[in-house]
Amino acid sequence: MRPLISTFTLTLTLLLAVAVVAVFDRARADARPAVVVKTDHAIPHEVDDTVQQAVTRDYASAWQAMAVALANNNPSALNDNFVGFALDKLTQRVKDQQHAGLKMRMTDRGHKVDAIFYSPEGSSIELHDTATLDTEILEGDTVIHTERAQVHYYAVMTGAEDRWKVRVLESGRD
Amino acid sequence: MMPKLQIMAALVVVALARGMAQAQESLTVPQAAAAGQEISLQASGSGNGTLYLIGPAQVIKREVQLSQPIRIKGEEVRSAGRWTAILRADGRSSAQTFFVDPGPVENLSFLARPSRVPVARPSAISGIVFVFDKYQNLVLQPTPVKFSLSVEGTGASQAVTSRYGVAWISSSSARKAGAAQFVAAADDVSVRRVVQQVASDPCNLRMHVAGHSQNGITVETDPIRDCTGNPVPDGTIVTFIQTDSNGRSTVDARIKKGVARADLPSSNNATISVASGVVLGNELHVGGGQ
Repeated sequence: MRPLISTFTLTLTLLLAVAVVAVFDRARADARPAVVVKTDHAIPHEVDDTVQQAVTRDYASAWQAMAVALANNNPSALNDNFVGFALDKLTQRVKDQQHAGLKMRMTDRGHKVDAIFYSPEGSSIELHDTATLDTEILEGDTVIHTERAQVHYYAVMTGAEDRWKVRVLESGRD
Repeated sequence: MMPKLQIMAALVVVALARGMAQAQESLTVPQAAAAGQEISLQASGSGNGTLYLIGPAQVIKREVQLSQPIRIKGEEVRSAGRWTAILRADGRSSAQTFFVDPGPVENLSFLARPSRVPVARPSAISGIVFVFDKYQNLVLQPTPVKFSLSVEGTGASQAVTSRYGVAWISSSSARKAGAAQFVAAADDVSVRRVVQQVASDPCNLRMHVAGHSQNGITVETDPIRDCTGNPVPDGTIVTFIQTDSNGRSTVDARIKKGVARADLPSSNNATISVASGVVLGNELHVGGGQ
């Protein structure tokens, strides 16, 4: 009696499933990360809905750009979303990585963000971010370190010509 | 039976040996470190390995001898935040994370708004300071910041403590016009900005007839000042409006040397009014016996 599902069909199905999962995972790594920004505690100025939406969108874009820059050792990916000290530092980080023959692959699991300061004239905003990140450090093609960590970041964003850009990005103990 | 037991025993021995080897190559990282200060790490084990230090703005790669202290110079540890130290030896990695705190205050990024403001306006001036160390790290620890705002030596100061790297105040403009010195200071660092405080809207705007000619009448204001006595700047527009049976004549004149003047057409019976911005002055009735 012939089996209902042949070994070949089963293998093909499994391979297809693995491929779909891999593609889905890759797509998620390249996509804009999930960012939730709460503005209830922002002082001294109240953050209006338009600003909240713009900051959420642009902060997510900044993390996406950073992931691309660190994965490909390509600092130009940072230019649209970072400015000032944050741009200088991340550019240096990418150059150092490249010099050391390293890359960092980051899977961003999301950001819970509280706006803690919004300037009276509305030109700058400071965020406290609790980010969950999976990272892999690669030397050439060899993964030399992997970790999942919850990291606290403080970010200062300033309004630029058509978007908010990250001017300071610093990780802290809490 | 025996070969199976032997294989299992061998596997256990290998696993134990591997575990011991991994334990031997443990890495000790600093519990406290500050940007710009030398740090020391300790890798246990024997032989050589490669140390990677991955910081927020730097990556350091170094061949190291295990069991020897590894010193990293202060100028190499410039970026504050979370660092990962990875020790790679014999194809295996061991890793630890540690934090580098920002160094002492060296730079203030001071935003003073607006650059020009009318006198005696409540909460009209804002000052925001972002506190940085020598290496452009945001100093997250609470730091006292003193703001002072003065015009020609008189003014007020206010001390606030930064929160997550930012300190701010909102201040009223002074009653006196002039270039106000707005200074923010933390530790030995101070930054100065100039806020031009200008006279506010005119107060008690009054005009009088300054002369007659064959074709008309000249009206002139008294010296124009704001409610705190500051002269309203030259160039400010003052509008004179004459209304009579022929209609309405309007003249916009700029203040020159503290007063504004206008020549209006002659009329037998007219009402002249004066205004500057939203401030209305007195009215004059001319002609008809006046």
